[in-house]
Amino acid sequence: MTREQIQTAILEIFRREFEIENPGLAENLREVYEFDSVDAIELLLEIERFLGSELTHDEKKGAMEIRTLNQVIDYVDGLAGKRGLTKDAPTRKEASSRP
Amino acid sequence: MKGRRVVITACSAITPIGHGRAAILDSLRRGVSGVKPLREDNLLAKYIHSQVFGTVDDPIAYDFKRTYRKTMGPVAYYACQVAKEVLEQAGLPPEFVTSGRLGVAFGSTHGSPTVQREIYKTFFSGTRAEYSSIGAVDYLKSMVHTTAVNITKMFGITGRVISSSTACTTSSQSIGYGYEAVKFGMQEAMLCGGADEYDTTTVAVFDNLLACSTAFNDRPQCTPRPFDRQRDGLVVGEGAGAVLLEEYEHAKRRGAEILGEVIGFACNNNGGDLILPNLAGIRATLQSSLEVAELNADDVDFVSAHATATRMGDVIEAQAIHAVYGDNPFVTGFKGYMGHTMGSCGAIETILSLYQMQEGFIAPTLNLEEPDERCAMIRHTLKLEERPVTVAAVQNFAFGGVNTSLLIKRFA
Repeated sequence: MTREQIQTAILEIFRREFEIENPGLAENLREVYEFDSVDAIELLLEIERFLGSELTHDEKKGAMEIRTLNQVIDYVDGLAGKRGLTKDAPTRKEASSRP
Repeated sequence: MKGRRVVITACSAITPIGHGRAAILDSLRRGVSGVKPLREDNLLAKYIHSQVFGTVDDPIAYDFKRTYRKTMGPVAYYACQVAKEVLEQAGLPPEFVTSGRLGVAFGSTHGSPTVQREIYKTFFSGTRAEYSSIGAVDYLKSMVHTTAVNITKMFGITGRVISSSTACTTSSQSIGYGYEAVKFGMQEAMLCGGADEYDTTTVAVFDNLLACSTAFNDRPQCTPRPFDRQRDGLVVGEGAGAVLLEEYEHAKRRGAEILGEVIGFACNNNGGDLILPNLAGIRATLQSSLEVAELNADDVDFVSAHATATRMGDVIEAQAIHAVYGDNPFVTGFKGYMGHTMGSCGAIETILSLYQMQEGFIAPTLNLEEPDERCAMIRHTLKLEERPVTVAAVQNFAFGGVNTSLLIKRFA
């Protein structure tokens, strides 16, 4: 998947689950949209569903500093890369064959 | 122990016989029942012998922002709606609401059983992916104090929180403990009440205990029948009620309309059996509330009986009323109209008693056609009485042996 596809999916999650339409990508989610810690937990669940795999505790903790949608997209992009889901990421086979 | 005077400056209820004052009064005056056939729930309903439920049928136009809705199960929707209506009616300044001088005493029987049911379904689904989908929100929606804290969140209330969860005495305790918090100066005002949502689990529990009405499944409006010879058990219901209690001088200074005064509250426990009604325990509670209010029994002219329409419960209650009040006050069991609204019944019955005081009438016990001779020694309200009420006693008794008695006085 591409970063654009991730962005589209995340915006759809924000529209569907959090009733936040066309948010600014650089806006502070808490200050502008009242997006709080409960929403953050729900968002992690949605991200797991989107990626089709569970996040580890360390991965979840890594989300705690996120404040903007750009950061959400970066975060998901990184997770997708680790799971071999992004266009540029090495496939699992390639990755495992590296020395 | 002398304390400050505590008055009621707003109230609202969602009940099976109507939402809000006008609808409820209309049902009381016309003798309308809110008991309906039990809905199919694809889980328990078909196994339950009692096929009736005190149902809130009228759709409620909620207008809550997402940020509030996300932590609310059905019970919290009810609670927040009546709380919103009470705060609007009271007209408290916004800076007072968030000052810490207003607290909340609000509860429900067991949080949101609808949400809990979904959680258990997920637990037993056997798939890890679904298991991990139980999130923080599910807990916040279902936890036992979900009503109280969704109210504090929605209105920014920062005072003390009391969230009793004592089954049928949940909201009479809310009002009682709220009254004491204001009376003894811990808070200037308390938003008090209770709520319970549509739930077949509760029906199943009482059904298993053989406490539910089953003989009127084809005529839901004819049951429950408090104190009646043909009564055959309680009918579970849903609803919510809230009152604003305020220190008298505070209410007077701001020119608030005063609907009534709470003049006494008592709560005790039977100290033994968790189910069987107990004459000594109930009688002691009623007597204690009179002592708190410094009233004689003759001063009470109306009793809102708990009267769930179980065979033994009504007899013991009639004996207790007779022992304390004799046959002087009119006695009405409001559950004849709507069934047993569980965690909300104490608040709803307090509000109905207040409405009657303001209007100067006493509604009869619906479905009481022929009093059981073992309950006949008290003054049952058999027809609508157009007469003033000065002091009302609202009594409730719960599983666990908890008894409460609230005394409410017309404000003059």
